[in-house]
Amino acid sequence: MNLFQSITSALDNSLAKDPTAVIFGEDVAFGGVFRCTVGLRDKYGKDRVFNTPLCEQGIVGFGIGIAVTGATAIAEIQFADYIFPAFDQIVNEAAKYRYRSGDLFNCGSLTIRAPWGCVGHGALYHSQSPEAFFAHCPGIKVVIPRSPFQAKGLLLSCIEDKNPCIFFEPKILYRAAVEQVPVEPYKIPLSQAEVIQEGSDVTLVAWGTQVHVIREVASMAREKLGVSCEIIDLRTIVPWDVDTVCKSVVKTGRLLISHEAPLTGGFASEISSTVQEECFLNLEAPISRVCGYDTPFPHIFEPFYIPDKWKCYDALRKMINY
Amino acid sequence: MGQPHVWLVRKEAWLVSKMAVAISVAKMWRQSRGLGQAALVALRRPGARGLAGSRPSTQQQQFPSLDDKPQFPGASAEFVDKLEFIQPNVISGIPIYRVMDRQGQIINPSEDPHLPQEEVLKLYRSMTLLNTMDRILYESQRQGRISFYMTNYGEEGTHVGSAAALDRTDLVFGQYREAGVLMYRDYPLELFMAQCYGNVNDPGKGRQMPVHYGCKERHFVTISSPLATQIPQAVGAAYAAKRANANRIVICYFGEGAASEGDAHAGFNFAATLECPIIFFCRNNGYAISTPTSEQYRGDGIAARGPGYGILSIRVDGNDVFAVYNATKEARRRAVAENQPFLIEAMTYRIGHHSTSDDSSAYRSVDEVNYWDKQDHPISRLRQYLLSRGWWDDGQEKAWRKQSRKKVMEAFEQAERKLKPNPNLLFSDVYQEMPAQLRRQQESLARHLQTYGEHYPLDHFDK
Repeated sequence: MNLFQSITSALDNSLAKDPTAVIFGEDVAFGGVFRCTVGLRDKYGKDRVFNTPLCEQGIVGFGIGIAVTGATAIAEIQFADYIFPAFDQIVNEAAKYRYRSGDLFNCGSLTIRAPWGCVGHGALYHSQSPEAFFAHCPGIKVVIPRSPFQAKGLLLSCIEDKNPCIFFEPKILYRAAVEQVPVEPYKIPLSQAEVIQEGSDVTLVAWGTQVHVIREVASMAREKLGVSCEIIDLRTIVPWDVDTVCKSVVKTGRLLISHEAPLTGGFASEISSTVQEECFLNLEAPISRVCGYDTPFPHIFEPFYIPDKWKCYDALRKMINY
Repeated sequence: MGQPHVWLVRKEAWLVSKMAVAISVAKMWRQSRGLGQAALVALRRPGARGLAGSRPSTQQQQFPSLDDKPQFPGASAEFVDKLEFIQPNVISGIPIYRVMDRQGQIINPSEDPHLPQEEVLKLYRSMTLLNTMDRILYESQRQGRISFYMTNYGEEGTHVGSAAALDRTDLVFGQYREAGVLMYRDYPLELFMAQCYGNVNDPGKGRQMPVHYGCKERHFVTISSPLATQIPQAVGAAYAAKRANANRIVICYFGEGAASEGDAHAGFNFAATLECPIIFFCRNNGYAISTPTSEQYRGDGIAARGPGYGILSIRVDGNDVFAVYNATKEARRRAVAENQPFLIEAMTYRIGHHSTSDDSSAYRSVDEVNYWDKQDHPISRLRQYLLSRGWWDDGQEKAWRKQSRKKVMEAFEQAERKLKPNPNLLFSDVYQEMPAQLRRQQESLARHLQTYGEHYPLDHFDK
């Protein structure tokens, strides 16, 4: 399956297993602008897979309300770039529902999905990676898969998780990423980073599309520099798996974190700050962050903007030679 | 409803070309027959209302000629050839439904809900008990015993009139000035106080400012400070109730100020398009803190917005408990039977300050406030009704005032003496399970208190 098909499969499994589950958002009825919900309305009915008016604050608020009654709400925001009208509902309401009510009420059965990340031509408003805004908000979980197999398992975990979750789907991988994905449901645990390749000299951390970039960087490093890289896919941005990352840095002594989102205040800063607190004496070099520039996401300049393998390779080389 | 956009684009192109053909054919036919308008009438499909609400089909009849009804998918309306802007009517706006006059006398006997004596007494006692609790808790804030309070003066009728018309299991989403709904549902004074004091008995575990009540057993969703956020949430809950065939509605309270928020617009539109069994209950009390309604909106209040969304709407006298009751009762009956939203705008007046942080003499006259307190108050109007029915008298009034004050004072004194919850409760319920990072932070605070505990008010907190 490709990525969008693995999403459809996860949603299909959810609606089959959980009779309260509903999917809603802009244009989901006909299958969605990225085809993630194709066939689901015909299969499960128009009361379970339906369009809403064009209003993100309404979509998320509505989803919270469904979840408050205990039913499963799967809300789609058409692009992560458009999630901001719903920021109040997510941060002030969804994230705080359980805490502020003393656990009398919660909206744990809410999952918000949104296409995320650069796509080659998306520019300012079809390329954003807003995970850092939400990482600063206790009470929600933010999850980003790197592949179809990961996506299905992580999405199913989000849907069944008893806390409101935001699931960002790398849109550039919707058709481009293809792998074997079981048709039956399965779950991949949240808040567990995955060491996808073991190594001894440098730890590379990324999530979503960027995992594939640092994978390439790791082979470049092995070929050209004889350097052995340990690659970690963070998978859950918040609450994040501090232990796996720190354990790796204790071993390697060097850390490079890379994301498309702008450098300042990006999630790499949180990882960097925590790792230097926990692993200070193990570090052989300053922690390196290879990120997007502190600009809005440009259109024609995308090839220069993104933290590509050459920038990551160069940063890695400097760390090795520190 | 919800026609697939991609499909429609293809169909539109097909229809346009067919229409062009039909028009030219019709023109040629008319010209060859020398026929005028009469012939064109015959070409119209009988009962055609244009494409609004109908599905384009491949079996479409010959497309009507140019002079016929509009075909736009976006509106079902006739053509007009006179340029005229619709005048918003704010001088004589939507009329205000009432059952009692200002002296508590029934105006039109057929509108009297004929509630039994016990029920009307319950309405009266709920309003007056709330009023008594408000006075005492407001005072307690002035004395520094609780940090903050909001009174409900003047709006008690909107709370109990609506609450009485609902089923016990109907879900309530409020804003912050609806304590009378909880009072009507017999929420104990102890728990009102516990939340205001944030003591060990607070079901909310001391996390929120006073008056942010919540009660699962009484189906009253915990209040949050941000305004209008509850509105689209209430709609989602109503949708879920509809799916569950629960025979439940949701009622959503908000003020006329909160109705300006984007979330209100979102909620109304979603409720109408998704056909949700919900009552939107707007307490129009004349002020949003210091902002009068003349600076909040320029149209005919909130009731006039309902039809814009396709929502059945009514404006009622919020200080008339029976009017509020009747409107809510009928709205509830129809909402659940027809799966559609209703909008009730209850006109009332905020007699008290916005909160203990507000002194309303800064923006309104004492005379204005006194008028409402003395001449048009939901409690006195209902009392007049009770007196005229012989269901209440001055002796009972005196006894009840004494008794309710005693009950409130007892609960108050108890609440004040209780400890606050254990500081560990600062850390729980952020997620259902406590994440590792948060547990480390909790341990860090525990260690900190071991060394620096003397600088913290630990004596007032549960061990």
